[in-house]
Amino acid sequence: MTTATATNLKQVPLLRRYLNLTSAILVVAAAAMIVVSIQNPSLLVNTLATGGMWALMAGGLALVFGVMNIPSFVHGDLFMVGTLVALFVFTPIQSMIQDAPNDFVLKWLGPFAGMILAFILGAVIGVLMELLLFRQLRRRSREQWVMNTFLLTAGLSIMFENVAMMAFGNLPQGISRYWDVPPIDVLGVPVAMDRLVTFIVAMGTLAVFALFLQRSRTGRAMRAVSMDETGAQMAGIGLTRIYQLTLALSCGLAALAGAVLIWLTPFTPTVGASPLLIAWYVVILAGLGNVQGAVVGAFLVAMVQQLTGYYLALNWVDVLPTGIIILVLLFKPSGLFGSEVKGVWEQ
Amino acid sequence: MLKLKGVESGYDLLQVLWDVELEVDEGEFVAILGPNGAGKTTTLRTIAGYVRALKGSIEFNGKSIVGLEPHRVSRLGIGYVSESSNLFAGMSIHENLLVGAYTVKNKQLIASQVDLVFELFPRLHERRNQLAGTLSGGERKMLAIARGLMPSPSLLLVDEPSLGLAPIPTLAAFEALKQLSQRGTTILLVEQNVNTTLHLVDRAYVLEQGKVVLEGTGPQLLSNKDVQEAYLGI
Repeated sequence: MTTATATNLKQVPLLRRYLNLTSAILVVAAAAMIVVSIQNPSLLVNTLATGGMWALMAGGLALVFGVMNIPSFVHGDLFMVGTLVALFVFTPIQSMIQDAPNDFVLKWLGPFAGMILAFILGAVIGVLMELLLFRQLRRRSREQWVMNTFLLTAGLSIMFENVAMMAFGNLPQGISRYWDVPPIDVLGVPVAMDRLVTFIVAMGTLAVFALFLQRSRTGRAMRAVSMDETGAQMAGIGLTRIYQLTLALSCGLAALAGAVLIWLTPFTPTVGASPLLIAWYVVILAGLGNVQGAVVGAFLVAMVQQLTGYYLALNWVDVLPTGIIILVLLFKPSGLFGSEVKGVWEQ
Repeated sequence: MLKLKGVESGYDLLQVLWDVELEVDEGEFVAILGPNGAGKTTTLRTIAGYVRALKGSIEFNGKSIVGLEPHRVSRLGIGYVSESSNLFAGMSIHENLLVGAYTVKNKQLIASQVDLVFELFPRLHERRNQLAGTLSGGERKMLAIARGLMPSPSLLLVDEPSLGLAPIPTLAAFEALKQLSQRGTTILLVEQNVNTTLHLVDRAYVLEQGKVVLEGTGPQLLSNKDVQEAYLGI
């Protein structure tokens, strides 16, 4: 009798490990994607390219929430800043390319200048935000921190958008394509160069980001701060420096996403609103503060968007992910990858 | 090595420590004893920089450390093991130790330090890849002490290693501290377990209501009438 109960107790968690909601959704999603991509490979390409960019946005958002407990609503405006930087850096480069169409270095590497500068400017804005706003708030009071920083970032977002509108106007300004070359053949599917580079940049950046968090001394310190600030200080980790780095990194990634994606979403003052919402979908879907989950969630959301856009209609693209999030929150309030153990990199 | 003079400290409107005088010499194993709420933990937190001293001086190797941020104090070579351990629950034992060695830049030194603490706590070595959040209370305490040892601090502040532990893990924790002390680490220990502690340490201070009321060597305090009556139940 006792042994029977004991084995039962052992089997329940095992069963639940494989039959839970998260893995069910992942399996269904993977299967759907495989079926669809056989029918229409361009959907797969789009999912991977945009999913990678949402992963950069959502990863940064999750990092800021995990390390600093800030629910950032200014994240989308960093995306907007990224599109602006790309616009102003690439436009002169574009005319240089037109003047010297045979300069291959310029033609192939020129577009990256805007992306790199966008990352740097985003990081600088992140550091300034920490120095001028969050540090001042932290020094005065840590009560109601989450609510206060939410209001602070929401207000900051309104400021960003209005300053951008004042300076650059309300009209969309974009770059139709970074690389003026014919589509490249990938496994029998013609893929536009911009799409391909978007995908490669996203994957490369995510890999570096993951390695940094997982393996480097500073990345480890960041995760330590997100798990236990007092413990981190005991180890000699200065919180201020980690906070600065966290904001620099996450804002830099958002600006990079904006710069890379400008061929898809041209600059307007509110171009960041949609990526911000998507990043929040992803972060809520994955579980707050969980960077690894956010990356997987980003590809899920991108897939749902692509499938909705293709099979239903483009204006349903935001409706379906939101619907799924409501369902997830009803049945698993901690998010798909949420758990008892809180931290930026934990499942 | 460590010298507290006339230290007063506390939280917002509640002052806890009143004129605390305390000294720890190099190589010594010193304890702070006393009842609940006497200010033992506050004393350690004040030294480690988590609570700011309102008055008085705290000197470490002749230099004042009053008002330094906690991570600066840690970098001077003062390790602090808190009563709640403050481990990184989502990291493995090994990774916790690596974060503990954050201030050490030399990778060889880190590796040899990891070997050293694993030698001291073989139990941690067995479970090196297990998440810290899944450890038992005794293992957590060991990991907390091990993490505190990673930067090879010259002074280790240890807050109530026996808190919440069963008798056997408690003894194991004390045994580890004894070994550490024999290897030359200076330790300032806070405890409520008066009998065991007094048999273990070189010297002890008795703290009551934020003031040092007694001090002496282990045997001296064990034979002291007030100590016997109040703490040993003799």
